[in-house]
Amino acid sequence: MTTRTRGAAAFALAAAVACNQGLEPAPAPTSCPPGFVGVCGTVSFVGQVPESTAKVFVVAFDTFPKSQNDLFKFKPQPSPPNLPLGGPPFFYTLPLPSGRYEWVLAVWQKQGTLSPTNADSLLRETGFYHDKGDTTVHGSGIVIVNAGTGTDSIDFVVDFNNMHRVCYYFPPCP
Amino acid sequence: MRSRPVAALFPLFWATALGAQTAVVYGTVRDERGAPFHNANVVVLGTALGSLTDREGHYRLPGVPAGRIILSARFIGHVHAFDTLTVAAGDSAEADFTLRPSTLDNPLPFVVVGPVVVTAAKRSQLLDQAITSVAVVSDTELARRAVNTVDEAVDKAPGVQFLYGQVNIRGSTGYVQGLGSRVLLLVDGVPANQGDRGGINWDLVPLEDVQRVEIVKGAGSSLYGSAALGGVVNVLTRDIAPGVHVRVRATGGTYANPPHDVWKFRDYTGAEEGLDATGSYGTELVRASVSGGGWHSDGYREQDRRDHWHTAAKLDWRPLAATRLTASGSWASDQYQTPLIWCTRGGCDDRGQAYQPFMIDTAGRGAFTRSDKGYVSATLERTASARFAWQARGSWLRTRFSDYQPGNDDAGIANRFGAELRALAHPAEGRVVTVGAEGARSDVASDIFGDHSQNEVAAYGESEQRVGRTRLTAGARIDYIAVDGGGLSAVVSPRVGAVLETSAGAWRASAGRGFRGPSLAERFVSTIVSGLVVIPNPDLHPETAWSLELGNAARISPSVHVDAALFWTEAHDLIEPNVNLGTGQIQFRNVARARLAGLDLSLSATPLTPRLTTALAYTFLYARGLAHDTVPERPLAFRPKHLLTLSADYQWHTVSAGGDFRYTSRFERVELYPGDERVAGKVLDLRVGVERGPLSVRGRLANALNYIYNQVPRTLAPVRTLSVTLTWTY
Repeated sequence: MTTRTRGAAAFALAAAVACNQGLEPAPAPTSCPPGFVGVCGTVSFVGQVPESTAKVFVVAFDTFPKSQNDLFKFKPQPSPPNLPLGGPPFFYTLPLPSGRYEWVLAVWQKQGTLSPTNADSLLRETGFYHDKGDTTVHGSGIVIVNAGTGTDSIDFVVDFNNMHRVCYYFPPCP
Repeated sequence: MRSRPVAALFPLFWATALGAQTAVVYGTVRDERGAPFHNANVVVLGTALGSLTDREGHYRLPGVPAGRIILSARFIGHVHAFDTLTVAAGDSAEADFTLRPSTLDNPLPFVVVGPVVVTAAKRSQLLDQAITSVAVVSDTELARRAVNTVDEAVDKAPGVQFLYGQVNIRGSTGYVQGLGSRVLLLVDGVPANQGDRGGINWDLVPLEDVQRVEIVKGAGSSLYGSAALGGVVNVLTRDIAPGVHVRVRATGGTYANPPHDVWKFRDYTGAEEGLDATGSYGTELVRASVSGGGWHSDGYREQDRRDHWHTAAKLDWRPLAATRLTASGSWASDQYQTPLIWCTRGGCDDRGQAYQPFMIDTAGRGAFTRSDKGYVSATLERTASARFAWQARGSWLRTRFSDYQPGNDDAGIANRFGAELRALAHPAEGRVVTVGAEGARSDVASDIFGDHSQNEVAAYGESEQRVGRTRLTAGARIDYIAVDGGGLSAVVSPRVGAVLETSAGAWRASAGRGFRGPSLAERFVSTIVSGLVVIPNPDLHPETAWSLELGNAARISPSVHVDAALFWTEAHDLIEPNVNLGTGQIQFRNVARARLAGLDLSLSATPLTPRLTTALAYTFLYARGLAHDTVPERPLAFRPKHLLTLSADYQWHTVSAGGDFRYTSRFERVELYPGDERVAGKVLDLRVGVERGPLSVRGRLANALNYIYNQVPRTLAPVRTLSVTLTWTY
């Protein structure tokens, strides 16, 4: 192989490697993607979104919080996936480590700087997953996440007309 | 003038230092047709002495040590020329140079000596005589790349990678959102890391004022102290030439639109434009330069507009032949929208996509930052005799930021005052001793970092002894650090090394300890992130690392130069954020042990024809966080296993064309969003330039293939950008 040929081959190799595409458009999933670990499902929206809304997101707790301090033991950290502010039913994916989860819920967050001391005024539970027919306060919506596969059909309703403060679960309310 | 084989002159090199007094060397630098070169650089190798030619091609070098010296003359696009002289004390000698274009087909009758570097040993030395690896980004490369900031210019250097402005030398830092750089930035040898966060402002010095950049790899704390854990980047500003000089540089460019309709986020093509001007005036006694400029960018993604303004000045006063006072300063201001993480489904108008890389999450709309930074420094250098020289310097770096984010504004002002006294002695033939003392005070006043200060004092010394063909080096530095007036804590950083010149090239080996003291931000930050409270940790102590290196630099043929190094770093007590979900708190702690080892290879060649220069740089990196507490051994986040850069440039008379291809392998591990799709980085930059008289035009097509990728979490890397730079020089 001549020097020129080697140079041309090296250039061709570099060009071939370079032409490989990077990130591509990724349509939102309609079912748990292959290999995804976590829970998936569809949330439906009811009611009018308050003007003071900062965002709405979905989180999971492996055990139901026993105090306000437990509220920050949610998963995934640090930034759980957002939900749209109303609109048609929305398919969500919530990446979680494999394990058992007692509470999968949507949280409405008011505009402002969130801290443990003002969680009661800035956060609201606005919907959660529970077994059909269950009417307990926070539902018995136990979800098992297995390694290597997603847990699908964890569907629930986000009701902006029926949101609950933190003190609803940890009374008394001021 | 007659060129001579420079390799044969090495034995004479150190003899130049043995004269007792100084002389003046002067002359002219011309091209083959006799036309004078303006701003050609003439230096005395092995010293800090240098001068630029005026418009008539004249240069003058006072304070040259008596004895045998090697002079080097260089100009962009031309082969360096060398000459030796014997000058007597109090005498003057003339040395004229004729430079030949580097495109000549006939090989030139001398061996090209590697560049002189000043950072690896805190003194001037030939590159191949440094005990650690040093990469140099020359003025030629800076001009060719036609970039706007120092980080863009350094990004393609061997073993160097930037992650959204955070520099990594052999994987030193990873990505920690600008906090606590494990690389020390120097501007003309003056430390310039921020006083509060310990990070680096790469736009502190206008690129137009930069002569070259030196990157020292591996622990450099034995000379430079804190932050030089993973390496040192020294930005060296231009010397000022005698006479009147003006340079105006105008840049314009456009960003590619998103390659897919579903990603489009605006109905116009983003642009960038900038204007810089530099003026200088110099006599034999005093020289001064002033520069200023700014640029605007629409950005390549949503909420990415940026305005930048800068000014800089430099004064060079030579009251005596061997005495030089240099004062310099700069100020830069950036006002920019803050493009927080890209939007994922539900966070914006996602158009049915899982993520929108060009759009940001609506929760981050309106985020804006103003960042001001500036420094002043003064250095007094005196060559008392050919055996002894000293310098003293003082510096002040000030940074100010204001972050405006929805519902959360932060601000802070930080200062870093520094002073250093350094001496360089040649007590015996073949021996060079560097000693010095350094002090610094950092303070911050901020709503998230509080009001705090840190004082550092240090003493250091390093000696090099030539024994036959070997140069042996040993040295150490001791740093004392006190925070808020509290007790002193001490850190000792030793280093030993050797360079052996053989027929198979120069072999080098070194072992050194580096450290980084925690920044005031890491100790005292108090804020809220994603609802979690970040609490201070005043008890943080310095992180440390031992670095070992074995390398070889060899010219395996007249047209091929190779530099290879094996490196091994063992890091202890690395400072990382520790998240405690039980308490809802984040705190910086000394938690991690890490190992970074690998191979650093660079090869430059002029194959086929001297008109074509090519380079290859490859780094293999094994980066592991070692097991501690409940965390198992795992890859360090944001470190690529493979980093490859291929470069080629072709010059035909005054026209040049070239390009770089950078491959970064997919990160084995990332933080924050480990489930996100990750791709390798494959970026091709192309460039073309033409010079005609005082005008030069350079075009640059960065990321020519418009490769869409990210390297830090949910942050799109720059897309294809076409820019044209017009420079007029008087």
